[in-house]
Amino acid sequence: MPVTDAIRHRIEAVWRIEAPRLIGSLARTLRDFGLAEEVAQDALVAALETWPIKGVPERPGAWLLTTARRRAIDILRHATLATRKHELLEHDMSGWTQSDDNATDTEDEFGDDLLRLIFIACHPVLSTDARVALTLRVLGGLTTPEIARAFLVPEATVAQRIVRAKKVLAEKQVSFELPPPAELGSRLASALEVVYLIFNEGYAATSGDDWMRPLLCAQALRLARTILSLAGDEPEVHGLIALMELQASRFAARVDAAGRPILLAAQDRSRWDAASIRRGLAALAHAEALDGADGSYALQAALAACHARAEQHDATDWARIVALYTRLANVAPSPVIQLNRAVALAMRDGPQAGLDALAPLLEEPRMAGYHLLPGVRGDLLERLGRLDEARAAFEQAAALAGNAREREFLLERAASLRPVS
Amino acid sequence: MAYLLTVLEPRGQRSERTPEQGRELYQRMLDFGAGLQQRGLLVAGEALRSESEGFRLSLHEGERRVVDGPFTEAREMIGGFFLINAASRDEALAIAAECPAAQWATIEVRETGTCYE
Repeated sequence: MPVTDAIRHRIEAVWRIEAPRLIGSLARTLRDFGLAEEVAQDALVAALETWPIKGVPERPGAWLLTTARRRAIDILRHATLATRKHELLEHDMSGWTQSDDNATDTEDEFGDDLLRLIFIACHPVLSTDARVALTLRVLGGLTTPEIARAFLVPEATVAQRIVRAKKVLAEKQVSFELPPPAELGSRLASALEVVYLIFNEGYAATSGDDWMRPLLCAQALRLARTILSLAGDEPEVHGLIALMELQASRFAARVDAAGRPILLAAQDRSRWDAASIRRGLAALAHAEALDGADGSYALQAALAACHARAEQHDATDWARIVALYTRLANVAPSPVIQLNRAVALAMRDGPQAGLDALAPLLEEPRMAGYHLLPGVRGDLLERLGRLDEARAAFEQAAALAGNAREREFLLERAASLRPVS
Repeated sequence: MAYLLTVLEPRGQRSERTPEQGRELYQRMLDFGAGLQQRGLLVAGEALRSESEGFRLSLHEGERRVVDGPFTEAREMIGGFFLINAASRDEALAIAAECPAAQWATIEVRETGTCYE
């Protein structure tokens, strides 16, 4: 790796660790989230210009904060601000220039800053795309090109999403404050949704390159643990952590050396990450102890736990899985859950039962473009010996799959069913 | 990915400090740990009491041996540890560089994983 690349990777790593602390602190003192984000990015640019020449400073976080504060002072001095705001800021910033060497906040302030950042980046006034991009940028410290790579969209699209998101927050006058207690539940749900979207993008890898996947999963777990450290009595936070840990435990086992997916039944369970499973089961127990067993994330985690607890695929408790899917369908009705329930039914009662449960989904418009529906159907048809229909289903699934490796896998299954001539 | 940061302190360093100095440095380490936790980076972390209170056990070939500390053959002792989540070696390095103990001790950084190649 060339030296310049090595130092850039190092700076990006420092940035991922420091960005949330930096932006949180700036947003609190500036009382302007958009400006905070802007001057933080300016500090990053300055670091990318300076550090390769002068070396990474001894306390990179303090360096970034000092640089960003100077930049904010410059911008505010040049701007014709309303006098009142200017005075307030002068007061807040009076300590900035003298105390550069101790440019850090107390840990209590830091915790509140992080929580405010999460709630503002995951604010319901923003579109889902914007929430994900903004969260990864301000809390995950990902750069615009990194986010673009993760989601296979042009950099300009990501940049635009972030600019627009900040504009919406400014227009709606969303303040850098914690939500009022009455809103806390729904705001937390919005934040958890963003976290799980980020995790799934990394885990399911519908797009994006290999290096970004574990990074996105790590980011999601990190965010969830941040939320946990600040809202530990919310069962669904534990439920989501349990779900992500249990899924992540299969990370190494679910693809072969060539990167092709390996189905759950065929995975080498000794390659599942035992520590991750242990943490997942512990988090699930927490969620259940907090009376959260019927939360949507806790139920999904309980499902993942059924697999984690089975030492062999044959030992899976399919009856419990069917029951959990039935409960989940009540809490969060969705055709995808019905699809999964059909798979579990097929395991419990045989492929015909699964196929029968699948039938209503074929008419479901929301499932029309979803490759896993024909994929599952192909599998059940194959087990019933209806090979021509199975092949057609796998081919249909391949045509709908967004991920090249998954497509290849489905086409291989279709090809394996071709009659030997 | 998880990394273990081990703080390797020069032997005898703790006894050279006044209680006030010791408490101040300890507090800085607690703050560092709290910051890691709030950023979702911390899996576990603890400080360790002096190794003169520790012991080493082996059961090689059925022979039970318990050796009480201190283990003077080494120049350093393990003063504490942090198990962290980091997505890369660079991230682990960035986190280790924030650790206050890097200024008076050595931080050894190791990735977790199987102990066979």
